[in-house]
Amino acid sequence: MVQFYRERDSLLHRLDPRVKIIGTTLGIAAIMLYNDPVVLIPLFFVFLLIGAFLGKISIREQMTLLKPLLPIVIITIAVWPLIYKPRLMGVLFGVSFSMRLLTFALLTFLLLATTSQADLILGFVKLGMPHEYGLTISISLRYIPTLYRLAGTIMDAQKSRGWEVEKGNFITRARKMTAVLIPLLVSSLKTAHELSIALESRSFGASPRRTFIREIRMTKGDYVALALTIGLFLLALYARYGLGLGHISIYPR
Amino acid sequence: MIRVKNIHFTYNDREVLRGIDFRMGNEIVALVGQNGSGKTTFAKHLNGLLKPTSGSVEVDGLDTREHTVAELSRLVGYVFQNPEHMFFEENVFREVAFGPKNLGLSEDEIEARVRWALKAVNLEGYEERTPYSLSGGEKQRLAIACVLAMKPRYIILDEPTTGLDARNSESVIETIGRLHSEGHGILLITHDMELVLRMAERVMLLKEGRKVFDGPVEEFFSLELGAYGLDRPELLEASERLGAGFVRSVGELMKKLGGEGVDGAVLP
Repeated sequence: MVQFYRERDSLLHRLDPRVKIIGTTLGIAAIMLYNDPVVLIPLFFVFLLIGAFLGKISIREQMTLLKPLLPIVIITIAVWPLIYKPRLMGVLFGVSFSMRLLTFALLTFLLLATTSQADLILGFVKLGMPHEYGLTISISLRYIPTLYRLAGTIMDAQKSRGWEVEKGNFITRARKMTAVLIPLLVSSLKTAHELSIALESRSFGASPRRTFIREIRMTKGDYVALALTIGLFLLALYARYGLGLGHISIYPR
Repeated sequence: MIRVKNIHFTYNDREVLRGIDFRMGNEIVALVGQNGSGKTTFAKHLNGLLKPTSGSVEVDGLDTREHTVAELSRLVGYVFQNPEHMFFEENVFREVAFGPKNLGLSEDEIEARVRWALKAVNLEGYEERTPYSLSGGEKQRLAIACVLAMKPRYIILDEPTTGLDARNSESVIETIGRLHSEGHGILLITHDMELVLRMAERVMLLKEGRKVFDGPVEEFFSLELGAYGLDRPELLEASERLGAGFVRSVGELMKKLGGEGVDGAVLP
């Protein structure tokens, strides 16, 4: 299982989760403003360096986590020249959109790698997300490893009955997976049902006002970081719309 | 014969099994120990679900490292703790037929095996029922039938009576006794000391991945079980206080007491 968050002593780890959530959102919005690879490629490396120096996550580690996106990147770069003429511009747009995708994933990864699950949910709730949604997300994330282990147990049980998923073509193998998916679905639904009863019996939703076991408070440093992030985003807006930088028209008039 | 020679198993840099030797024929062996002592990890080596880091496991001469779980499932059946983790078919008949189908048997042979296995666990007449609609004990017996239909020589039962009420538990115990009398070797993974006392001929006790005891059940209950986080069965405590010594059931205790109980109460 991929576990994104690891405790480290870094500036990004210490930052208030709300600042990191706002920063990530503004960062994603900023990269959506541009489509010129001349801007997007350096931006990707800037965020990579931010992760390495401010988050203490090595560039190698960041690249490893971006590796699963490689097939999408290759397909994007290969498809654009086929649908856009001149082809050289198509390659350029392919590279642009790939960089956008990679930067988008990198920012999300940096948020998850520097913020614990509990802090992340708390951050979202403090920013105004209904706590029911926060709890839903938290429980969903909490149950991923449980379901992963359960799937392993079910596979072992079926293997003990002579079940061999490796044999046969794709369709045969997909059909064989029902032997795992059905018990997994039934167990998951039962767990969800039991959990809902357990939550209700502990008065979940009885009072609209909620308190938190752990409180988070914005420090002076957090306010400075927030102001800096908003400032940089405004600068990106000005560069794009005030100076007209970083954008190539895909459909020329 | 199952022969386990000095197996070690390491997972995530942690040595879970540390040099275990074990032999088992057509007998009932109880595998006991605290949570995390390595019981399930050890049992999963017997049908090839896990392969030892070093050492070897042989089942009737077949080295588990050289055979798939599917091949070994003809010899060693494994009934998991939660029977529902097995069920996915629409009715009991198809559920039991799943294993024999995987063995590539003919339709006639599959049907014969399903009928035989359901009879062996007293589930005749349940063929069209949905597995999930059965009671706890019936589900456990269905899980045993699913494994039994593959005609394995050895059957591993992981916590077969956990979570069952007295009646359902009794029906499972009866099934285990019948399977043993028909010549199957049974390995019971359990925390239930009453079940060990009643059913097991031999006990293997694990602690932190090491075998600390392997011997007759009577000798096992003479150990200081508290040191291993285990309790002595109340029946045994009572029997010893009454001076009846080692007994395995209430019936045996009564026989030893000659029909007369404590305070002069007459026992049936």
